[in-house]
Amino acid sequence: MTKDDHSLVRQVLAGDKDAYGVLVSRHGETMFRVAFRITESEPDAEEVVQETFLRAYRSLPAFDARSDFRTWIYRIAVNCALQLLNRRKAEAAVPIAEEYDEERPGLQLVHRGAGPDRLLLDKEIEHRRHAAMEKMTSDERLAFVLRHIEGRSTDEIAAALDITPNNAKQAVFRAVQKMRRSLAPLWVKS
Amino acid sequence: MKHLTDEQLIEHYFGEGANRVMVETHLRICSRCEQVLEDITSALEVRGPEPPARDAQYGDRLWQSIQAPLTPYPGDPRRARFSWRISWPRTPWPSLVLAGACLLALAAAFFSGSLWERLRPHPNQAANSAQAPAQVKERVVLVILGDHLDRSERLLVQLNHAGAATPQSVDALRAEARQMLPDNRLYRQAISAQSDPTMTAALDHLERVLLEVANAPDQLDPDDIARIEHEMNTDSLLFQIRVLRARTTQAQTASASRKGSI
Repeated sequence: MTKDDHSLVRQVLAGDKDAYGVLVSRHGETMFRVAFRITESEPDAEEVVQETFLRAYRSLPAFDARSDFRTWIYRIAVNCALQLLNRRKAEAAVPIAEEYDEERPGLQLVHRGAGPDRLLLDKEIEHRRHAAMEKMTSDERLAFVLRHIEGRSTDEIAAALDITPNNAKQAVFRAVQKMRRSLAPLWVKS
Repeated sequence: MKHLTDEQLIEHYFGEGANRVMVETHLRICSRCEQVLEDITSALEVRGPEPPARDAQYGDRLWQSIQAPLTPYPGDPRRARFSWRISWPRTPWPSLVLAGACLLALAAAFFSGSLWERLRPHPNQAANSAQAPAQVKERVVLVILGDHLDRSERLLVQLNHAGAATPQSVDALRAEARQMLPDNRLYRQAISAQSDPTMTAALDHLERVLLEVANAPDQLDPDDIARIEHEMNTDSLLFQIRVLRARTTQAQTASASRKGSI
């Protein structure tokens, strides 16, 4: 019989470190998926996941037993991802030209016969989508990913980002507008 | 016809918004808003890369990679705290104790706040008391410097009239110069740090004169004195010292009047 998260947390706090291993195994992949969607980079996502579980272990005594462990660790992962995004932005030099990275994984678009024109358009779409994501602030990007990709509610986003629901809604709105503005010329062309 | 805002359309896309029926009705009759919603939908259909798949051992590998720096929790005390956190809302007593403690803390904060207000010095008093030592120090410096300039002026006057002086008076002049030399060096360095270039230059000039007089041979005849006066331009130095002494006296007066106004 598998133990629930709260029992495992109690075991960890009672000195059973290995019980935390069960929690890590149980939620590791979910946190990786969230981290990847926010960072869009596999090494960065791995870094975020490790940092998330290390930070969560240290904060375990502060975990409110009435809360859901998955939601709690999800918030920590979002915060870690946010910090990494901010760090990456601070480290990044001002680009002279935006280059499309050939190494990045492809888009999940409907296949309509991948002729040269379609491949070119896919590249252009990805380039513009990526540029729009880069233009978003950290809050906008997180709110966008959580709302649009992860399907989280406005209240959940507000709780994860520690902002008001109205600010969360505005962040999603601004992010969608940036994405829309970036991609609009392509719809006109096609 | 009033069109829907982008915000309303984005909310509609995400299945949110208060007036879904109104928005849908409007979209059926307004091609412009329908087109905007299509644009939004097209933009949001573009998805980023999907996360790479992780195998079944991913969680175990992750645990292996992070477990080393984690130290086990000591045990019972933590467990006790954890279980308290779970159970306290179910019984009324801890809530009452907590409420009582909050009231006590509030009363203590109010009492200590009012006590603090009574004991705390008024901000103006504090500012005055902070200013006072700096002004006292400034007045002391001005008095000492004024004395030094006064002595320097007297020495230069004696030097300018030493041509007709006796050997005894020349010895006295030399002794005075030797005595003044370390003081002058100290004042010059202090004034230099306060960046007063005129005063620094004058004290520097004076130091060279004092050095010359202090290291003069035992037999200082009128020709030697005339040479020092000429080479060291002591007339000009005397004038400078007089000007500076007047300036210092004025500053002393101003400082004293400021003290009176506090």
